[in-house]
Amino acid sequence: MMESGPTPIATPQVKSLNCPSCGARLTIRSFEHAVTVVCNSCHSILDAQDPRLRVLQQFNVEINEDPPLIPLGTRGKIRSTQYEVIGFQRRTIHVDGIPYSWHEYLLFNPFKGFRYLTEYNGHWNDVSILRSLPTVNAAGFPPTLSYLGQTYAQFQNAKAETSFVLGEFPWQVRVGESSTVTDYVSPPRMISKEESGKEVTWSVGEYVAGRDIWKAFNVSGDPPTPVGVYENQPSPLSTDVTTVWTIAGGFLLLLIMLAIAFYALSQSEQVFTHSYTFDTNSHGEASFVSDEFELKGRTSNVELTTNAHVDNNWIYLNYALINEDTSQAFDFGREVSYYHGYDEDGFWSEGKQEDSVTVPSVPPGHYYLRVEPESDFFRGKIYYSVTLTRDVPQISFFGLGALALLVPAGFITWRSMNFEHLRWAESDYAPADSGSSNDGEDS
Amino acid sequence: MIRNFLLIYGMAVLGMVSAAEYRGWSLNSVDEVKNVPRSVRDNPGSYRSVYGYYHHYTGGK
Repeated sequence: MMESGPTPIATPQVKSLNCPSCGARLTIRSFEHAVTVVCNSCHSILDAQDPRLRVLQQFNVEINEDPPLIPLGTRGKIRSTQYEVIGFQRRTIHVDGIPYSWHEYLLFNPFKGFRYLTEYNGHWNDVSILRSLPTVNAAGFPPTLSYLGQTYAQFQNAKAETSFVLGEFPWQVRVGESSTVTDYVSPPRMISKEESGKEVTWSVGEYVAGRDIWKAFNVSGDPPTPVGVYENQPSPLSTDVTTVWTIAGGFLLLLIMLAIAFYALSQSEQVFTHSYTFDTNSHGEASFVSDEFELKGRTSNVELTTNAHVDNNWIYLNYALINEDTSQAFDFGREVSYYHGYDEDGFWSEGKQEDSVTVPSVPPGHYYLRVEPESDFFRGKIYYSVTLTRDVPQISFFGLGALALLVPAGFITWRSMNFEHLRWAESDYAPADSGSSNDGEDS
Repeated sequence: MIRNFLLIYGMAVLGMVSAAEYRGWSLNSVDEVKNVPRSVRDNPGSYRSVYGYYHHYTGGK
């Protein structure tokens, strides 16, 4: 007699059998979905749909034992759905004779079906089967595909071989079976195409941090530390590059506005100017002091400009800007030299007849200038003028400010580009200087 | 995180540039001498410049 009312939701159960090869107890968790089951003890691959569990394959595990990091039977939540780890396989590709292996964990939920977790060198992906076909554009370099409005670039094409299995599978799994795998990436996602005979399977994976998997499945210890950059690993800096340049651009604009404001508001007040003559034929005391002049306003810089009529000659001037009120002096020396001539290369010249120096942070007060000229003896008279201007904007600080604003933007961009370089160095489309060849299909 | 750092960093750079301009800083090297004798005004030769006795190399091509 049938009961009326709503059908109760089934709770996940397990079915226990014994291995016909070694007698060990077998656990089948995916019920009628299981097509093959691998004995955990003797590693016989058994036909799960045969009531007598016919042995399909036995493989040597003495040198191939590869225990899963997440034990079979472990349950955990992925996207708010509880899944149970029911199968585990290792798959291997060979590139230039070197084997590269990754692990696949088959997850099962009686209502949602199957999905996978893949792991390579500590990099994890949450993988599910695609429900609709992507559009492939094979003409590009690298070829691309479009799926749900997103473009994926082909990363690698290789023949993958199953090299270790454990647990149960909804297909006829065999150690040694191979398929051609083509990966397309658009971090943090990747789409994989698997071709085995006439069967083609498309799957989409999303990069997941190992610690999130560990947390979801309540696995003890720490997940393996990721090694290198994985093909769909999101760059920790990719989103920052746009942000950093936007911010740097904004601040550069502010810096330009600041420069305009300082140039507009600075007084650039000429406080002293005088012309002098230095007679190099004279042996008397060359030093002298100027008339007194006043620096008004706030503490500011003072630009001293020397204009000397030197022609294939030089003059060196020891300057001391002396505050008569405080007896404090700013002491510095400047050379003005200008040489020119003709040789086999034509006209040449060195130096110039004008020199400027900025004396920093000069307080207001009454000042005079001590000047002591030097030059070669007996070169006649040298005419020169000295001009002092206070509160002169310094373009150098704006230049340094712009450089300082560009440094973090440049550094983050470089880090991001380096990350992408490392990613693509492992692909079939590696940059020329990465040391990897464009292998196309590896086997 | 980086955004906040860059905002603070950018404001610090603008602040430093503004301070440098307002306070009249310079990248030139100038020595400050304290207590210059008042006699220098009448006897300029009595002052010994830090940069005195310059040995000039007459270069040229």
